[in-house]
Amino acid sequence: MGKKKLKVVYLFILFSFILSGCTNLQYVNNYSTSSLESIQKFEELNSSFNQSCLDKCEERKIEALTIAQEECSCKENEKADSITLLIYYAVRGYFDGLTNLSNGDLTNYQMDTLNNALTDGQFGDVKFDKTQVDACSNIVKIILKSGTDHYRGKKIKAYVKEANFPIKVLINFLDFNLSENLYAKLDVQKERITSSCFDITKNNKYTIAEKRDVVENYYKQLASIEAKQKELLTYSKALKIIAIGHQNLSDNIDKLKEDDIKQELTQYASKIKDIIAEYNKIKH
Amino acid sequence: MPALTSQEANQLADNFLAMSKVIGEYRMKNFDNLSEAQKQNLKELHAKILDASDELYTMSATLVLENVQSSLDSIRNVTGQMKDTFAKLQNIQKAINISASVAALGAAILSKDSKAIGSSLRTLLDSVKA
Repeated sequence: MGKKKLKVVYLFILFSFILSGCTNLQYVNNYSTSSLESIQKFEELNSSFNQSCLDKCEERKIEALTIAQEECSCKENEKADSITLLIYYAVRGYFDGLTNLSNGDLTNYQMDTLNNALTDGQFGDVKFDKTQVDACSNIVKIILKSGTDHYRGKKIKAYVKEANFPIKVLINFLDFNLSENLYAKLDVQKERITSSCFDITKNNKYTIAEKRDVVENYYKQLASIEAKQKELLTYSKALKIIAIGHQNLSDNIDKLKEDDIKQELTQYASKIKDIIAEYNKIKH
Repeated sequence: MPALTSQEANQLADNFLAMSKVIGEYRMKNFDNLSEAQKQNLKELHAKILDASDELYTMSATLVLENVQSSLDSIRNVTGQMKDTFAKLQNIQKAINISASVAALGAAILSKDSKAIGSSLRTLLDSVKA
């Protein structure tokens, strides 16, 4: 085989290697990107522990017909929000890192400025030919991408494995605080306003028109609380899929080239995207 | 007595909430048959149990910190490593840009063009600072 043919075979193998590496990390990036987008929906949630405390305080003032400007004591609820936020930041930070690192563009190094500097400049008697510079630059680019992608892939594997247990714990507790504790506090609020509304409807001091206003307002409040609960449940659904997806990614991180693994990761990304759409539908 | 865990506090809160719902329903269903004192007592009991449930849910959310502390440390550690790796990979582009600026500056010096030297020097400094 001639030297030229050997070069072609070598380049072909190199290209295949690079392309397969990129494609595998692309599946990790798809899963990670949709997970990150979904996790960030936390910032759009309309409920919080502190808000629930403030609502309760306001309801008390309305019931007692007081306009006193006294502060509501919500310190414990503020603490609950800070802890939930702390967990959220940690989870978001991890997926942000994974998304950035698995992004193929990270290692698509731009050589144009170097090429232009070499071809435009006059280095004494030496003048570089544009075609030769471009050819050399492309080879350097391929080798550079191959090396950095290999390094990137190796690092991602190690990070995903190391992070699997703690990220699942954090996602589970973020979910626990939102879909169990905060959700249930909204149930408490529903029970409280129902009782309050019932008392007014049974109180003969109020006119029928006044009672109607109270009942109308009650249903509005109820609908608003239920919308907040729906948001929390949808968010919780996304967190659960992200956690399962991460377990799957960690279990199969050494087998990313296999088609069924790629397909599974695509399915997780797609399920998460569906939930984002569902969440956006509730919001609008 | 051992301290409550977040799960136990949540479970207790669930029980209190269920209890308050039973009392609330009883009060509403039997309202017309209750004496004024009974109505008042049930109303207060209902409100107190609801408050207890509310506070326990908040307590459960704060107790979560004990369950997640070591996981928070581990994830912060992994995230820090990821950021370092990301920065290293980005630095390669920075190195390429610096090389380009050095080459342009070299060419400008050789051409003895003072205007081009000044401009290339500024570009090189920008590349280093980026």
